[in-house]
Amino acid sequence: MHIDQLQLRNFRNYDKLDIEFDDKINVIIGENAQGKTNLMEAIYLLAFTKSHRTPREKELIQWEQEYAKIEGRITKRNRSFPLEIVISSKGKKAKLNRLEQKRLSDYIGALNVVMFAPEDLSLVKGAPQIRRRFVDMELGQIQPKYIYHLGQYQKVLKQRNYLLKQLQRRKEQDRTMLQVLTEQLVEHAATLLERRFVFIDLLQKWASPIHHGISRQLEELELRYSPTIEVSEAADREKIVTAYLEKFYEIQEKEIERGTTLIGPHRDDLLFYVNKKNVQVYGSQGQQRTTALSVKLAEIELIYNEVGEYPVLLLDDVLSELDDYRQSHLLNTIQGKVQTFVSTTSVDGINHQTLEKAELFKVRDGIVDT
Amino acid sequence: MYYPEPISKLIDSFTKLPGIGPKTAVRLAFFVLNMKDDDVLDFANALVNAKRELTHCSICGHITDQDPCSICQDTTRDQSIICVVQDPKDVIAMEKMKEYHGKYHVLHGAISPMDGIGPEDINVPDLINRLKDEEVKELILATNPNIEGEATAMYISRLVRPSGIRTTRIAHGLPVGGDLEYADEVTLSKALEGRRDV
Repeated sequence: MHIDQLQLRNFRNYDKLDIEFDDKINVIIGENAQGKTNLMEAIYLLAFTKSHRTPREKELIQWEQEYAKIEGRITKRNRSFPLEIVISSKGKKAKLNRLEQKRLSDYIGALNVVMFAPEDLSLVKGAPQIRRRFVDMELGQIQPKYIYHLGQYQKVLKQRNYLLKQLQRRKEQDRTMLQVLTEQLVEHAATLLERRFVFIDLLQKWASPIHHGISRQLEELELRYSPTIEVSEAADREKIVTAYLEKFYEIQEKEIERGTTLIGPHRDDLLFYVNKKNVQVYGSQGQQRTTALSVKLAEIELIYNEVGEYPVLLLDDVLSELDDYRQSHLLNTIQGKVQTFVSTTSVDGINHQTLEKAELFKVRDGIVDT
Repeated sequence: MYYPEPISKLIDSFTKLPGIGPKTAVRLAFFVLNMKDDDVLDFANALVNAKRELTHCSICGHITDQDPCSICQDTTRDQSIICVVQDPKDVIAMEKMKEYHGKYHVLHGAISPMDGIGPEDINVPDLINRLKDEEVKELILATNPNIEGEATAMYISRLVRPSGIRTTRIAHGLPVGGDLEYADEVTLSKALEGRRDV
């Protein structure tokens, strides 16, 4: 799939932009603070309806303007259709094929995007919530129903945490309601866990050979999903439900004492092992980078396998962060099959035949020249 | 805006109604000025009386002008079944169906710790007392099929379980007369879960 056209109105530092893209490689060149990442952000938003940089949507609207609009024309399975996001002070509207989609799960997945930005290098060494967010976003774009289950889980979790706080402060004594919410929570938790297990398994299948290649056949990468209950990846739903219920029963007093839910998918983690060692703890900077790169490249293949078409790849200022060998590995992988957007301050440091055929866009102060 | 005080008061009152914005409120207020005196008086009386004469039934919690309400007083209805709903409007919806001949219990809400609503804040304790006093054989839980409604239904079923009274939950599924293709996938999967032999 690819993006043929992009229109921006009052988005960040772009007043008005109408631009057509090449279906292979697009290189966006500009000095710092000219709008390179804003362009990447717009494409990301079109796919996920959320920014990768900020949860505050007001920031996306240009100063003193009423609204911001992003519109893109997508080609997917030989069909062309428009996507549109409008953000105003009243909220956000997402339109697929000109029709407003009230539910996120009806919109996300129309355009698949994989983004690789400098902050993704912290996927391995950063906080667990970065990895959970990664799993949720990627799983969501290939399985829209996952987003629904995640939303339900978060709603029950919120209710349960409020109740635990009330029990903690002895405003409420009744344990029956806690049991009810626990059961409700476990239903959704089991669904999330099941789907995450399958996803990580798939991701590992694709990431492992890629990592092997980048590390010059020296390293074996392994992905392990680490849940807050003891349960094997092969466990069926019933086993997961029982394991959760038993664990919740066991920690009930502790949860009331702390006034919050202590186990569940919102506390899980994803661990990366290289040659049987935890990369987060024992890996070198280089190994952590290679791992992050392998996982991102694996995503491209995974989406191709699940969706039937390659996603759009956004490389925001990362080529300069990778050494020559990793750079060419990355560019070889995407060559000719994945529509890619590369943002960089200069093309000097990047020597690769792929970039010779690329379309160049020069960004200066919110204006793009081809 | 420079309205004389009586009319700006009226406009302000209209904006308190749901679905009425400032412009509609102005339109309605000026319409009232042109109405016949008798009609205005009837309208005003209807408003006051609706609020003054209606109370909640001391048995089931439904809105009524006499206590107990006409449904609770009706001896021809099946006294052994109670249908639990969240809102008086739900009773009216059920009554429109004309298929249900049992009694009701209106909770006036659902349990939601987030909003500080516990079992005691809705009509649950009264329901439990009713089950002790009356000869009830079945309790139908017809709360809304969302997280709070579902939790409330589960909570009540827990409380009732020891008494051995049959407790049922209304089914989820497809609207009758609708098309399968327009159903959202969550409803569809619920409908599939609840399929039955024919």
